[in-house]
Amino acid sequence: MPLLKIDEVTKVYEGKVTHRALNQLSFEVEKGEFLAVMGPSGSGKTTLLNLISTIDSLTAGEILIDGINPHRLDKNELALFRRRKLGFIFQDFNLLQMLTVEENLVLPLTLDYVPVNDMATRVLELAKRLDLTPILHKRPNEISGGEAQRTAIGRALIHKPAIILADEPTGNLDSKASKDVLDLLSRVSANEGATIVMVTHDPIAASYCDRVLFIKDGEFFNEIYGDERRQTFYQRILNVLSLLGGNVNDLSATRLP
Amino acid sequence: MTFRQLAYHNVFRNRRSYAAFFLASVVSVMVFFVYSMFIFHPLFEEDGLQVLAVRGMFIAEVVLYIFTLFFLFYSMSAFLQARSKEFGILMHLGMTKKQLNKLIFFETMILGSVSTVAGIAFGFAFSKFFFMIGREIMELESLPLYVSWQPFALTIGAFASLFIIISVISVAFIRTKGILDLLQGYWKVDEITNASRWLSFLGFLLLAISYVLASIVTDQTVYTMVLIIPPLATLGTYLFFTHSVHSLLNLYKRRKGIYWHKTRLVSLAEASVKLKDSAQMFFIVTIVSTVAFLTVGTLASFMSYTGDYRESNPLGLVYISFDGNGKEVEHVEALTAELEEKELAYDLVPLIVKRQTSTFTGNDVDIIRMSEFNRLATSLGFEPAYPDRGEALFIPYSKESLKELGKSQVQTELMESGVELSIDQVYPHILFPVHTINFNSIVVNDLDYAAIDEPLQGYADGESTFTYYAFDIPSWEETVAIGADLTAQIDKAVEKEDFSGLNFFFENPGEDYRWFKSSFAILLFIGVMVAAVFLLAAGSFIYFKLYTGLERDRKQYLLLVRLGMTEKELGKIVNRQLIPQFFLPWIVALLHSTFAFISLQVVWDEFAELSILGEMVLVLAGFTIAQVLYFYLIRWRYIAHLQAS
Repeated sequence: MPLLKIDEVTKVYEGKVTHRALNQLSFEVEKGEFLAVMGPSGSGKTTLLNLISTIDSLTAGEILIDGINPHRLDKNELALFRRRKLGFIFQDFNLLQMLTVEENLVLPLTLDYVPVNDMATRVLELAKRLDLTPILHKRPNEISGGEAQRTAIGRALIHKPAIILADEPTGNLDSKASKDVLDLLSRVSANEGATIVMVTHDPIAASYCDRVLFIKDGEFFNEIYGDERRQTFYQRILNVLSLLGGNVNDLSATRLP
Repeated sequence: MTFRQLAYHNVFRNRRSYAAFFLASVVSVMVFFVYSMFIFHPLFEEDGLQVLAVRGMFIAEVVLYIFTLFFLFYSMSAFLQARSKEFGILMHLGMTKKQLNKLIFFETMILGSVSTVAGIAFGFAFSKFFFMIGREIMELESLPLYVSWQPFALTIGAFASLFIIISVISVAFIRTKGILDLLQGYWKVDEITNASRWLSFLGFLLLAISYVLASIVTDQTVYTMVLIIPPLATLGTYLFFTHSVHSLLNLYKRRKGIYWHKTRLVSLAEASVKLKDSAQMFFIVTIVSTVAFLTVGTLASFMSYTGDYRESNPLGLVYISFDGNGKEVEHVEALTAELEEKELAYDLVPLIVKRQTSTFTGNDVDIIRMSEFNRLATSLGFEPAYPDRGEALFIPYSKESLKELGKSQVQTELMESGVELSIDQVYPHILFPVHTINFNSIVVNDLDYAAIDEPLQGYADGESTFTYYAFDIPSWEETVAIGADLTAQIDKAVEKEDFSGLNFFFENPGEDYRWFKSSFAILLFIGVMVAAVFLLAAGSFIYFKLYTGLERDRKQYLLLVRLGMTEKELGKIVNRQLIPQFFLPWIVALLHSTFAFISLQVVWDEFAELSILGEMVLVLAGFTIAQVLYFYLIRWRYIAHLQAS
């Protein structure tokens, strides 16, 4: 059974001008898979992620996460669902400024009233793995972008969610920090079997994934699977993107090192 | 980190943005506590002044409570709004609505308990100081510091209930929004400012109408106007800040020759965004400041009433004996004995007053003879009056009557005795306090006085005369407690509303003066503290708005510096942004108060006939100086923060 099942999902924004952001989109994600969703600006990537994140409502269709349709849950159950089943990584990190790195890491556990001893052991273990130990007691405005994003990844991992949703995680990072973050994500996916759905513009970022799904104007466009060599995967992604059209600026001009 | 620690971190690591709000709450608690210390003071008796003080402070506590409730409510909802992105993140991560409510409740209670404890601590520390002021004002022997659970219980109870109410209500304010809206945050208001032209006009119109009405208030219309003007002015102020200001700015912006000029482009565009965003806050600040000015101004004008008191009450003591008063001699001897005991110099002038009916008005007239009148006048240091036979002088009873009587000329006959008089002058000084003599009182030549031999119509011989004992006492303020038993007898009769056994009248203006002066001083003392809380609260709104916008402003300045703006030009822009935020509500509040005082002057004229201009100028100037200082303080911090990055 797939971990995430998107079935004929449609999202329409009502307003002065009705806008169909997603149109009968269907795909599945297996457990332990690292999926990238690509597409030009306005193709509905972020809408898709918001729908999976359960913070936006569907117009039609069905989403199943770990066998549960979160859109059938009430507000309270939904919050608990997000807290336990989902992990989030954002483009602008969304760390809480008044909390230290350590406190930001344990935030999901705090919300779940996990005993303090458990929190402490898990945070130490996680910090070691993510190389965050030296900065645990710093505040978000005192650390670099890469460190901030690693903290955010830690926050998304600490409660062992069923699926991790990442929205342009490398969008605000330089290439070195991007590489660290992507290495970390693919390692987490490969070694720990974490399921990750990542929305991105960046073909380099996408080339770290197992599979890339392309959407255009809210509809399924194409999908390609990764292979042994990232270099060739990257080339193939570029090829699809050139077919996809869209804005040339969306494509990264750099090549893999 | 436990859930409670999360709430704790939220408050304590955001302490800089809570600073002004916290300060205002602490001062509010402190003032409330100091009042409670007075109210529960064990040495306070059921004496006039102390009852007044206790009642005044109790009312002030109620006012303070209600005001603090609104102030905290408004501040909290603004705080929560500014933190909406943070709440969005938390809810995205799976915080339930219930947990969010709990978080906000914890945070509010932390803030509440810290400010209550700090306020009580400061209040207790300074209560000796306030007791000293209170002791001076109420002229008590001593007002020692005491320890009792009551003031603590009242203050803690009041503010605990207040903060619980606030935390419950303010939670309701984030109820309707979705996570996506919350995540987009607070500063999404940089839109083009639309102002309705019609409403802008209405704003100006309402303000103009209320100002005009306030300046043409008369004695007759004042009570209706009190009901009409404040709502008009309040609505006008609201529209002024929400629409009129923006229409003016838009008009200005349309003229590109002026608008697209050096730093004006940036500073005007910024100012209009900030003004739009803070329109409601400006409105509240204006109204709160106006109320504070008016409170202190009104109380200060009471003080000027006491300054006028001596002129209308030149006598030290007044004792009037009517027909059938068997204790006349005994009373007067007792009074003189008391004066001698206190070693107060005095001059006692008994005046035998005759009553007659005037044919001119048909009212009865009190008649004093020249020789007795002049003895009193010279004793008080005024010039004597010499009416010839057939002439008389009006005796004025107030400043206003002095003017009016000066204009009137009367030919009259004292009906009972047939004495004809022409009265065309007024004695130029007030000798007798207003309610101790008849409004129709005259001085006549001794010969005319002797010719009055018939009693007042319908009265017996003795009933138609009375003796007015006028005491001239140079150190008249020292007469406190003289004739206390006479005062007590009169008070008793007043209480029973039975004057039948009372054949005398006694007044001690010196004591009354002390009483007026002290009670006004108490009211001023109470009012100034409440006004201080009001103004601090108004200041904290502005501070808070600046602080929440700081991050955004910093980015903007950084951009401007990159675009090639010099430090000096930046300073200019900062000034142009801060000055309207600080002084626009201020100026409007000053205008409001000025016109309110114009109306107040009319009301005062009716009661006390004095000018409050001096006091008003003093009060408004004092507040302005305080505001300018506050501006420089905030400007200094603001620029320091901007340049920190």
